[in-house]
Amino acid sequence: MKIFQNLPHIDFMKYKTVALAISWGMILLCFLWIHPWKGASARVKLGMQFTGGIDMMVAFKGNVPQEEVRNALYAGGVRDAAVVAYKDKPGVTTFSIKVKARKGQDEKDSSIQIKQITDALKHLDAKAASDHRMDLNTESVGVIVDSWMKQNPLGAQGDETALRQTYEPWVNKVIRAREKASPMTDYNQLPSDLPAPLRASLEKDYRLGNLTILKNESFSPSISGEWTLKTLSAVGWALLAILLYVIFRFTVSFSVGGIVALIHDVLMALGLFVLFGFEFSVPVVASFLILIGYSMADTIVVFDRIRENSHKPEYRRVDIVKLVNDSINQTLSRTILTSLSVLFVALCLFIWGGHALRDLSFPLVVGVITGTYSSIFIASPVVVFWDHTFGGKDKLKQHA
Amino acid sequence: MSKRSLWRLIFTTLICVACAYFFVPLSKVRLGLDLKGGVHFELEVQGQEALEADLRDTRDRLTDRLKEKGFPEVVARVDGMAVKADGIPVERQPDVQRIVSQGFSGYDATFTDKGVTLLQKSSYQKSLKDDANKRALQIIENRINQFGVAEPEITATGAEGNRIVVELPGVGDAERERIKGLLTTPGRLEQRLVAKQDPTQGMGWPTREAALARFGGQLPPGTELLAQPLSEREARREGKAWTAPGPGQPDPIRSWVLVEEKVYVDGADITKAEPSINPQTDQHEISYVLNRKGADDFYNLSGIAAEENRRIAVVLDRKVVSILWCKEKIPGGAVRITGSFTKDEAEDFALKLKSGAMRASMKFLEERAMGPSLGADSIAAGVRGALIGFLAIIAFMVFYYRWSGVNAIVALTVNLIVMLGLMGSFHAVITLPGIAGFALTVGMAVDANILIFERIREELSNGKSVAGAIQAGFDRVFWTIVDSHVTQLVAAILLFIFGTGPVKGFAVTLTVGVVASLFTSIYISRFIYDWILERHPGTKTLSI
Repeated sequence: MKIFQNLPHIDFMKYKTVALAISWGMILLCFLWIHPWKGASARVKLGMQFTGGIDMMVAFKGNVPQEEVRNALYAGGVRDAAVVAYKDKPGVTTFSIKVKARKGQDEKDSSIQIKQITDALKHLDAKAASDHRMDLNTESVGVIVDSWMKQNPLGAQGDETALRQTYEPWVNKVIRAREKASPMTDYNQLPSDLPAPLRASLEKDYRLGNLTILKNESFSPSISGEWTLKTLSAVGWALLAILLYVIFRFTVSFSVGGIVALIHDVLMALGLFVLFGFEFSVPVVASFLILIGYSMADTIVVFDRIRENSHKPEYRRVDIVKLVNDSINQTLSRTILTSLSVLFVALCLFIWGGHALRDLSFPLVVGVITGTYSSIFIASPVVVFWDHTFGGKDKLKQHA
Repeated sequence: MSKRSLWRLIFTTLICVACAYFFVPLSKVRLGLDLKGGVHFELEVQGQEALEADLRDTRDRLTDRLKEKGFPEVVARVDGMAVKADGIPVERQPDVQRIVSQGFSGYDATFTDKGVTLLQKSSYQKSLKDDANKRALQIIENRINQFGVAEPEITATGAEGNRIVVELPGVGDAERERIKGLLTTPGRLEQRLVAKQDPTQGMGWPTREAALARFGGQLPPGTELLAQPLSEREARREGKAWTAPGPGQPDPIRSWVLVEEKVYVDGADITKAEPSINPQTDQHEISYVLNRKGADDFYNLSGIAAEENRRIAVVLDRKVVSILWCKEKIPGGAVRITGSFTKDEAEDFALKLKSGAMRASMKFLEERAMGPSLGADSIAAGVRGALIGFLAIIAFMVFYYRWSGVNAIVALTVNLIVMLGLMGSFHAVITLPGIAGFALTVGMAVDANILIFERIREELSNGKSVAGAIQAGFDRVFWTIVDSHVTQLVAAILLFIFGTGPVKGFAVTLTVGVVASLFTSIYISRFIYDWILERHPGTKTLSI
């Protein structure tokens, strides 16, 4: 099977002005809407790593409305929490709770705040007030091991180490069962081969609450500025390193073209990322760097063909516009195929990868599309423009 | 099969088997904290405190030396970041100069008509801070090891080496607070004399204000007020109400005790410490053994205490944990602290003593606790997403390139095996972004195959023979593939340098993916074609 039965002859360079105007116009509109120069009121969502603060994720059994969680937190004294609900699993509602650090806040406060949030959330469990036993869904491995070692329901012999070795594997099994249920709703979800005395002890000492804490992170405000700097410098160095490599392997004109295309792709992805309300986190920045890599790789394939063709006798006497156009056309089916397959993967991750991977794969989805587009409509025209302006007739061909 | 093909087959198989060794069974694959669950701390050593501690040591040493050399009244004091000793007559300053030049090499001394001021040299400050960092790292390692966490990761980072990252897989939320407490307290044990005072006055005062009022708002020189916390057990025994303080709240205080500023025995001199139970009183105790220097110091201390009928305060992290009676000089350096401790307190206390004293406390920069169920969900979703993507690509390649597509699939599969093997071989950690990285490198590897196939098609349509087209296809795209892979590699390596935690995991996956993809697309695909050509020499068609 083939996309093009014969080599296509599309005059891409004819559309370059229109394409340039449209895509840079879109970028401009995005940034006008985001207004990043307004500092705090810019429409950019930053992760807690960049602002300092608390980032928690909890799961409730059953259908707990987002409003109720927000109200409980408000009543518990956590007034400025951002609460978002996810429905990843049937019968369970997952919430992301984020509290930004206030100015001048002490690092030590985070433990208190986390406790405040957990306490507030526990009020959403109606049974907790009447049942004072520990909640099996929130207790850690250590607590259960300790209590079993103290009670010794299996009547095991030996010193502390021997007891630990007896009970720890069972606790791990229980925890695995709990993870699977997350949260556990019924004692029947306990592992079926759990010895009866252990099962009885769990049923006696623990209740099954409706809350599990999935994740609990806090970032000191003092480290956040550092994160931002580190991240920006990573992007800066990446651009510089790629620029140098392309100068080394190709010529300055290709290098400039490649970098302009890269900047275009990153800006476009940034704009759309914010436009669709995604939040920046450190992994997201990583995926922007991947985007840089992908976009450049795509551009290089086209550049490589331009360079190869420039050596051929039939291109000795033709205009650079035709050289570039033909090269793009010759690599067009590869460009389309590759982009489609990478787009497949990125889209699969976006759709089925869970919400943790969603923020991460969005820049990739955008990046694949713009990366392909920019190699043709941004990078190549820049090469042509550069060669017309600085190069003289045969400069590029001689260099290559 | 020709000898060359056979060797290539053996080589490829060997590589696959070697790689499989590193990740079969799958439990060998190391998962990051975001997937496995656990606790991650990033701490910063407060180097400033080490400087201050050294100032206090210097103050005590200077006072002692001055006393020895005939200045019994001169008491040195800490003033900001300097140690000052006033009341030294100008004519006797050469004596002082000698003292300072002999025993205080880290300090610059300036003399005034009033006395002498010692300031830390900047090189000395740097070495103090470095020492504090090293000690903190060592001590954290000791404490964590004794806490019994499996596979802890403790590494020093930061430009000045003053950051410590602690990763404890499998530690739950409940233990987090206890570990946090264990990590932040310096564990600085000091033994000092309780200040001389009116015997009618009891052991201490209920509030700081009451104590200050007793001395007319001004403490006697060379003394300070330290709090003695009220422990749970003590409160119960004395019939007082006891509520556990919340995190971040101070412990309830039993009394304020006036102690001398001078430290006689330092925690650094402890060689052994363990919790024990006193069979007579059934109380938890801590016994410890001091080294030679510590034993000598303690001998002197107990001597003064016995002679002057004074008591010894055991101070841990500027809190009085115990007050000892001493009837006679105690040689040998075996000491037992009979405070009122709970079992956990006694254990943690002994642990801190055993692992030595930190020179500075820690500040928490970052603290993350992830439940394992979040990881399980993420893995399931991430693997599902990546798998669907992989299958979609396989289906597409076979549909579009027919038999050559199968070639690509073999290459992709080997690619995956090599990637997992490489990651396993240097114990790389798979993180959540890493799963995305996996999927993406599959996309990249496909790109290399597509480049080759498209080129072969082009050469075929230019009228080349099958063998010639394959030859030309691979040769022509070789540098294209190298170029595009190297740019990706550059991005990946920078990610590794600048990234932390999960991002580093992403970078590793990507780097490994690029290397694996280079190998499979250039070597494996080529090998398969060559092999087929060998079996059907002079074939006129190629399924592509």
